[in-house]
Amino acid sequence: MKSFANVNARDLKDAALRLKEPNAIAIGGGSDLLGMVKDHLVQPDVLVNLKTIHGLDQISAKSSEVNIGGLVTLDTLSHDPMIRSNYRVLAEAAESVATPQIRNVGTLAGNVCQRPWCWYYRNNFPCFKNGGTKCFSVAGENQFHAIFGGGPSFIVHPSDTAPALVALDARFRIAGPSRERTIPAAEFFALPKVNAAKENVLAKDEILASVHLPRAGKNTRSTYHKVMDREAWTHAVVSVAAVLEMDGQVCKRARIVLGGVAPIPWRLDKVEAMLEGQRITPELAAKAGEGAVAGANPLAKNGYKVPLTKAVVRRTLEGLAQV
Amino acid sequence: MTTLNSVGHPSPRIDALKRVSGAATYTGDIRLPGMLYARVLRSPHAHARIRRIDVSKARALDGVKAILTRENCDVVWGSGDTRNKRYLFNNPVRFAGDAVAAVAAVDRHTAEEATRLIEVEYETLPFVLDPEDALKDGAPEIQPGGNLSPNNQGQRQPEVLRRGSIEEGLRAADHVFEDHYTSSHINNAQLEPRVSIAQWEGGRLTVYASTQGISNCHTEIARDLELDAKNVRVVCQFMGGGFGNKNQCHDFDLMAAMLAKQTGAPVKLEFTRKEDYVAVHGRWPTKQYYKVGVRNNGTLTAIQLRGYSGMGPYRKGTGGIAGIEIYQCPHVERTVHPVLTNMAVSANLRGPDYPQGVFGLESLMDDIAYSLKIDPVEFRLKNMTRKFNDQTPYTSIGLEDCIRRGAEAFEWKKRWHAIPGVGDRPAKRGAGMAMGSFFSSLGRSSAVIDVDSRGMYHVHVGVTDIGTAAKTTMALIAAETLGVPLEKIDVIWGDTDRCPYSVGESGSRTTTHTGYAVVEAAKELKRQIAEKGMPRDNDVLTATANTNPTVPGMARYSFVAHFAEVEVDTDLGHVRLVKYVAAHDSGRVVNPLTATSQVKGGATMGIGMALHEGLLYDRASGVPLNAGYYGARVMTHRDAPEIEVLWVETEDAYGPYGAKTLGEPTIIPSVAAVANAIYNAIGKRVKDLPITRDKILGVLA
Repeated sequence: MKSFANVNARDLKDAALRLKEPNAIAIGGGSDLLGMVKDHLVQPDVLVNLKTIHGLDQISAKSSEVNIGGLVTLDTLSHDPMIRSNYRVLAEAAESVATPQIRNVGTLAGNVCQRPWCWYYRNNFPCFKNGGTKCFSVAGENQFHAIFGGGPSFIVHPSDTAPALVALDARFRIAGPSRERTIPAAEFFALPKVNAAKENVLAKDEILASVHLPRAGKNTRSTYHKVMDREAWTHAVVSVAAVLEMDGQVCKRARIVLGGVAPIPWRLDKVEAMLEGQRITPELAAKAGEGAVAGANPLAKNGYKVPLTKAVVRRTLEGLAQV
Repeated sequence: MTTLNSVGHPSPRIDALKRVSGAATYTGDIRLPGMLYARVLRSPHAHARIRRIDVSKARALDGVKAILTRENCDVVWGSGDTRNKRYLFNNPVRFAGDAVAAVAAVDRHTAEEATRLIEVEYETLPFVLDPEDALKDGAPEIQPGGNLSPNNQGQRQPEVLRRGSIEEGLRAADHVFEDHYTSSHINNAQLEPRVSIAQWEGGRLTVYASTQGISNCHTEIARDLELDAKNVRVVCQFMGGGFGNKNQCHDFDLMAAMLAKQTGAPVKLEFTRKEDYVAVHGRWPTKQYYKVGVRNNGTLTAIQLRGYSGMGPYRKGTGGIAGIEIYQCPHVERTVHPVLTNMAVSANLRGPDYPQGVFGLESLMDDIAYSLKIDPVEFRLKNMTRKFNDQTPYTSIGLEDCIRRGAEAFEWKKRWHAIPGVGDRPAKRGAGMAMGSFFSSLGRSSAVIDVDSRGMYHVHVGVTDIGTAAKTTMALIAAETLGVPLEKIDVIWGDTDRCPYSVGESGSRTTTHTGYAVVEAAKELKRQIAEKGMPRDNDVLTATANTNPTVPGMARYSFVAHFAEVEVDTDLGHVRLVKYVAAHDSGRVVNPLTATSQVKGGATMGIGMALHEGLLYDRASGVPLNAGYYGARVMTHRDAPEIEVLWVETEDAYGPYGAKTLGEPTIIPSVAAVANAIYNAIGKRVKDLPITRDKILGVLA
């Protein structure tokens, strides 16, 4: 790997200022970034170490919301009793990531900002993500690529926690050198047609500092269902993050977000509307499954994701309704 | 079978504590004073001529000590290709990953940076990945003379096995079944990455290798570097697995030696996991076309196979497609084409010719049994081999017992459905089985045993122990023959300066070859002790044995039957192993503890080959996409089912205490057993390995 310097950030502002330097990259847990440096996917001169920033590894509950620092590890998140009981979808998503070793060092912000695992990108093909002007998956091996929202790049967003956070209506606090901004999770992610080189709206000198969850509704049920090609250490082929606020048997409010099928966490707002105000019967769950894949646009080798998505959405809703 | 004192008793590895406590020094752990580190630059192209290499910028980098390219190194790696000359650095480069240059520098980082500063001008050439395409007119020529690699007689003809007349056999059939199957390039995926350390002391070279055979490694390094054998020493004290891709000497051993020679310092050359996947070798991918004739009563009349094996651009392995030998059948014709392609090189991986061939054949035999409404277990009992190639008697055969006892332990009748695919969606269960055999060779090896006045027996054997517990096996055999407790045995291994010749730990031969030599050396030592008494004071008694036993007029084989139950989630295309029984005839089992582990490992590897693994290429560029543990989706602990191991211990009059071979048979029928179980569950047959989710959902759609 190329030689680089490490600088320990004092605070968020210091980190953001240092990120302004040419070829500076922020590092949290580093479980993916260091591998990317070794594979020459990124060649930083400076790594800005965020782990030295005080307080970013805390989960704190306030009256109106829960704040999760960007440096909270996936392991901590998955075991936190409050998260587990109030935001089960997030605990389950965090728990489904990779391996125990990676969850011990990998952070929430790192997971949300993780670069794609498209094999063309990871093998240094000159694709959009590597500064090129082509998506090699289109005419190539696209069995794990996007069926929604693709073009010109067809990567799928690799994060498990991202669909959960979008489903929870989280807000992301973004720190820059001169100001902070807080935006809805859904607005953090960007489709390739907006910017094919990146997956989100973070500027080069910005940091995803923390995540804020609204107070969980009393009768809210949530879950994360991840379909994997082996039992551990792999990304979602298809996943669904589902959050249902119930009033007795009736669904008052629904958030259904897919992972593994689109370049961003893929929110199914039409399906949500289909569910709200209804009893979740097996028939409705099946209808929701059908609705989930409306507009799917599979490539040559990923058509199986359509029936798979249908089934996962249906079964996840059936499961949640039975709780 | 008579009970013995040491052999046959479950015994922990004699080096277990060292291995699990981190005290064991693996090759990668070795650091020598002044040692340099080396890295290899590899071709990004599937096929290209190198027009120009400019190493000046790399050379100028501070800390770079030596750079090898084809221009200053014309060493031929003898075992890298059995047909053509394969240099350490070839021009043209013939696969994405072919070595272009090697750099030694003061640290790893500098060596790697230097490889990136080497400027190479490539003229890309047309390439071909598929073995059948490679035989078509106009296909790019990968080596002079054509892409069909010559057979063992040096003729450009496929490898052919013939018995009876295939036409007659097909005419005699009431039904003829025809189908085709494919299998993928699979990496050996051994835990220990690849590393070699070379050190010269005057004109004498020591290579600390990670090898499955110090003796062949030694011989071949001497041959390829044109050194006198006495000037080469190979050491491998602890070895972290190879499954066939650490046989012999490797190009990186030779590169390390050449870099060490140029720099006058010890050199450690290491591969990344990705390099390990693309640049060494894996199991050959195959395409198999079968035609099988059968009578109404289920008796086989003819088996025909036309097969193609993709060998990569260098012929390192046989390319064989085995399996037919497990069936009794009067008319057989097997035509296999080992074909050069621009994929990664293919050669030995645990049962090199077998699991892919058994997958194809046992899939078709399963279909035949269903269509004749015969229970697959009965079909195999009816048609299984009785004599090798229907001709030569076996020294012992426990195949029928493997099938019967395995089926019973598995509760076959309960788990298997006569009508495949019955059962309610979405979670459908099904059962499948398959069988196999593997040559249990006897042959040349050596052992030296000495005893001192303290009553310690020092057993010198040239084994490295690739994970099979070979050191412990040798100790158990020595203890048994000498009639002393295991604690009195000290094994000296893994160093050509201290150990006699041992057969390479490939072909599942160590127990049968070297174990036999240990028996003979121990007998000789006992004879000396009986004659002279135990040594006193500083005396020692030494016995040697150089053995090369043969089996007159008989075939010696191990046998196996595996049974798998799967649950297929038909909504998600997900396969879960529910139950697995492995029944093995390996003659007498020397160490049931480690033998059971081997079976579990082999079966797990086979399940991974059935469900997950396969090196996938970008067709446009010829570049592999999923090299490495993550991309290959190698089995994790959570994927591995409980595997029940059942021993059918036949009495075999040959080999050490009647032990037959084990390591490789463990994977042979596992792929097919899983594939057949999936068919029984869903009623649809997937004929291309691996049987991934997309294919399952595809056949169910």
